[in-house]
Amino acid sequence: MNFAAVQRVFGVLLMAFSLTMLPPAAVSLLYRDGEATSFLASFLLLAIGGVALWWPVHREHRDLRRRDGALIVALFWIVLGLAGALPLLLNEGIEMSFTDAAFEAVSGLTTTGATVIIGLDTLPRSILYYRHQLQWLGGMGIVVLAVAVLPLLGVGGMQLYRAETPGPSKDTKLTPRLAETAKTLWVIYAALTVACIVAYRLAGMHWFDAIGHGFSTISIGGFSTHDLNIGYFDDVLIEMVAVAFMFIGGINFALHFQAMRHGRVMAYWQDPEFRAYLFGLIALASFVSLYLLARDYYADVGTSVRQAVFHAVAIMTTSGFASDDYAAWPGMLPVLLMLSSFIGACAYSTGGGMKVIRWLLLARQGARELKRLLHPHAQFATRMGGRAVPEKIVRAVWGFFSVYVMVFALLMILTMALGLDQVTAFSAVAACLNNLGPGLGEVTSNYATVPAAAKWVLMTAMLLGRLEIFTLLILFTPAFWRK
Amino acid sequence: MNFAIVLRRLGLSLLGFAPFMLTPLVVAALHGEVRLFRPFIDAGAIVALAGLLAWFAARKAAGAMRLREGFLFITLFWCVLSLAATLPLLFTGALHLPFVSAFFEAVSGLTGTGATVITGLDALPRAILWYRAQLQWLGGFAVAVIALAALPVLNVGGMQLYRGDPLNPTRQDRILPRARDIARAFIIVYLLLTMACASAYWFAGMQPFDAIAHALTTVSTGGFSTHDSNLAWFQNDAVEMVAIFFMLAGGISFAVHLFALRRLDPGIYWKHAETRLFIVLVLWMSLLAAAYLLSHHHTASVFDVTLNAVFQVVSIMTTSGFRTEHYADWPGFLPVLLIFIGIMGACAGSAGGGMKVFRVALVWLQGLRELRLLVHPASEAPVKFAGRLANASVVEAVWGFFAAYTLLYTLLMLLFMSSGLDQVSAFSAVAATLNNLGPGLGEVASNFAAVPVAAKWVGIIAMILGRVEIFVVAVLFTAEFWRH
Repeated sequence: MNFAAVQRVFGVLLMAFSLTMLPPAAVSLLYRDGEATSFLASFLLLAIGGVALWWPVHREHRDLRRRDGALIVALFWIVLGLAGALPLLLNEGIEMSFTDAAFEAVSGLTTTGATVIIGLDTLPRSILYYRHQLQWLGGMGIVVLAVAVLPLLGVGGMQLYRAETPGPSKDTKLTPRLAETAKTLWVIYAALTVACIVAYRLAGMHWFDAIGHGFSTISIGGFSTHDLNIGYFDDVLIEMVAVAFMFIGGINFALHFQAMRHGRVMAYWQDPEFRAYLFGLIALASFVSLYLLARDYYADVGTSVRQAVFHAVAIMTTSGFASDDYAAWPGMLPVLLMLSSFIGACAYSTGGGMKVIRWLLLARQGARELKRLLHPHAQFATRMGGRAVPEKIVRAVWGFFSVYVMVFALLMILTMALGLDQVTAFSAVAACLNNLGPGLGEVTSNYATVPAAAKWVLMTAMLLGRLEIFTLLILFTPAFWRK
Repeated sequence: MNFAIVLRRLGLSLLGFAPFMLTPLVVAALHGEVRLFRPFIDAGAIVALAGLLAWFAARKAAGAMRLREGFLFITLFWCVLSLAATLPLLFTGALHLPFVSAFFEAVSGLTGTGATVITGLDALPRAILWYRAQLQWLGGFAVAVIALAALPVLNVGGMQLYRGDPLNPTRQDRILPRARDIARAFIIVYLLLTMACASAYWFAGMQPFDAIAHALTTVSTGGFSTHDSNLAWFQNDAVEMVAIFFMLAGGISFAVHLFALRRLDPGIYWKHAETRLFIVLVLWMSLLAAAYLLSHHHTASVFDVTLNAVFQVVSIMTTSGFRTEHYADWPGFLPVLLIFIGIMGACAGSAGGGMKVFRVALVWLQGLRELRLLVHPASEAPVKFAGRLANASVVEAVWGFFAAYTLLYTLLMLLFMSSGLDQVSAFSAVAATLNNLGPGLGEVASNFAAVPVAAKWVGIIAMILGRVEIFVVAVLFTAEFWRH
């Protein structure tokens, strides 16, 4: 474990993060909402902290190893998430306890999108901007860090082969190619964000809302500048822009990479995960539409389809935007939607959940088990994209699924012990673990009424989800810290 | 596919079942319930006839039962016998049960679930009460035999870990003794336990009829009672303690009982890994529940609360489903915790339901192993449980089972909600039926009488799927199964 190298990288990250306090300060000055001091103070504190970490080890040039990468990824979200609470604590526009500020910041950075704030419409502009920026940065963190680092760790089967995986080879060291790949991914991410912002603007949002929602759409975050979320606009065009960009944000960025770098647009269609993702969304949206129609919930077919499509995409990709009170929908729909967030978006996208590819593998592995019952002595391979999946990955996926379920059950019990009722606990844990955002019951619109201790448990859930569980759990095994 | 063999076995099963339609006649005669004669005689005749026809049609069947026949037979066994068991309940006019309710009750009886659709048990004819209890007793026996005679050969959900002679667990042969031998050996244990339980109940203060009827449903971890309020009706600590002891017995593998009996060594229970884990978990969960309850009920006596906690934990972990109060009324997270315990269930080879302790243990151990592999990818130390190596096929089968179980659980929950149950009730209704547990929360805390018809059908399916450990039925739905 090369602590010095980790510290150096972290110092740099913290310094970089401190710089992100400046745009909100500018927004504050622009709108004259009086919050500039809290952002500038945060900038100074974080910058000093970053320098203090970096300076003692800035001559450290040894390469980072796999475990260092794991530690950095975990620290990125934990430390930066908590550091992100600083402006929220310091500001005067809103009174927030440390728990609430931490919750909001972690929810932002992990792109969960669960909020403890009521009265978004009257918040100072800079604070609103800051929340959205956090989500955008979090999305970028996923795309760059996770795409580059997690495959090396082989978390939950994610060292999956791809035809031309962007990122480092499977060495134990992080190679210099990382920087190059990271740059390209960042460019794609930025380009998509700009496109989304422009689209929102053209659809009718004002620039401030367009930028804010652009940030939280591409990052599949779900924060809004209004309490009613996207429902505030009541505009089909805006909803469709959201649907389009949520869908895009939920696609494997490696595919975006191939399309951009090599012009291989067919790469999308050739990817089994993408196909499953697309069909899954269509199937869910169709089912929800039909169910709503059958129960006569909305006045006309158009509205039913519109709401169904929006929420199916918003929830399954784990964005968490809402254009209506779907928790009030009839029968099993709210629970079904919650459950769909466990599927989530594609691997290497900004979405959460278990990721479509794992479900695809689970389905094939399950089919293999059934075949084995009939032919116990035959050898069957699990196949994906025309190739056999290594047994190591098959086991990792099984392991991931069972640990995910057990962690969910444990967290649900824990939050219930801390005061949440069953329906709320179930959906709150699901919403945070899958980085979805809103839940059912008490947490349909916001998490304001959740007890403080439970908020900390839910923050842990958000981090566990973002870090794909094992990356966080691994820090608790003694073997990790030994030579 | 040798349908003839399956048909013949089914015929024999029905023929074996038919006499048990007549034993309630004895009870009816003893209590002067003359009107109950017809339903049972009619049902018995039909079942015997059906069995005879089936056997006759397939009497020339040759060959041994292989994998495919095994899967088909087990599935049909439960379905057909459940239908047969429905008949007396359907024919008894006094019950006024529509078909779906009678079928539900029969399935609940035979699968040892213990969820009832009947209210007013206290006023029912004794013959009917006896019949219900008897169903559970028979079903519990069938479960244990199938679990150790068939499932290890069929490799269902990792049961191949229990390959080898259950009559002699130190040998790990590939050849299993015939189901007949296992049944013969187990019946001794079963009868002894049942008689001991009945005597114990009687000593504790139950009337003879209640004592026997409850012994039948305790040892089989069924949960049916002769009273609406279940064991709460007796308000008797001794009764509860007897119940705890014999529910535990019913939740432990019959092979372990047999082994302990043969060696006259109670230490066997502790040496057997799954049993040991089962007991340790019961202790821990009881402790947790008791501690939480005590912190909420300052006025009640420590003994009462602890006894109550132990009772509920044991009842649910063995998936018996007896109750001394509604666990749904317990504070905080306890009801949900209990449901999760019920999902874990009892030991493999017992009369209990749920996922089975060994699978949960393996999933846990395998999860830890995956974590270790992340740090040291080269270490390939395989998982060991109960002194046996869990090789790749076992490990993956167990995982597959866990995943299938979880997905089935959510699907059933959605179906229950679709049929009209609210989320809390639906969540617990699945736990109650899929785990063959019995009582749930919300609308299904006492019984399933008031749930919609559609929900009853979902419950029936869930109960059977739980009993056959899912994969046995699932494999029937693959194209591969029907291909030659």
